[in-house]
Amino acid sequence: MKNKLEELRKERGIKQEELAEAMEVSRQTIGSLENGRYNPSILLAFKLARYFEMSIEDIFIYEEDSE
Amino acid sequence: MKKTDYLITGIGFVILGIGLYMVKTLENVQGVILTLPYILVGTGCGSFGYGMSNIISKKAISKDVKLQKQMEIEENDERNIAITNKSKAKAYDLMTFVFGIVMLIFALMNIDMVAILLLVAAYLLVHIYAIYYRLKYEKEM
Repeated sequence: MKNKLEELRKERGIKQEELAEAMEVSRQTIGSLENGRYNPSILLAFKLARYFEMSIEDIFIYEEDSE
Repeated sequence: MKKTDYLITGIGFVILGIGLYMVKTLENVQGVILTLPYILVGTGCGSFGYGMSNIISKKAISKDVKLQKQMEIEENDERNIAITNKSKAKAYDLMTFVFGIVMLIFALMNIDMVAILLLVAAYLLVHIYAIYYRLKYEKEM
């Protein structure tokens, strides 16, 4: 699944490590999310959305054929 | 948790001691008793090593709060858990296949029926365990 995590994080000048610490996940998880290699759980998606003060749909882009 | 580690280490040490004592003192024994001291040494070493490593690693990180937090995060990280579960599932699939092949080879080698039945029982136990959890999770999720 594509997402705007990297873009949003860089816009706000946050390091991967800082975002990982705030989300209580590993830095590798943030890296994998940004690369689109890993799809987050709904809980982590909500946490990320709250952190960036956006809705989940604004961060993660659902495409029918992405699965 | 720390108490359990000390208990495991202590029990391991005692079992190891008993095993070593039996190795030195037992004479003119046959059958299972002949291998018992070595089994005791093996399990004693295993328990002692496991307990000791837990104690040392916990002591090493107990003063570093940041490292402790980092380790907790790594342990509970959802991606790490997903990776572990996925690799376990793959290993289970492989185990099913390997167990099947080993049972067939054992049967063709005319190995003692007790050994084959034990292997079959172990194979079935693992599969029954998997079915049990499948049913349990189907109710829960």
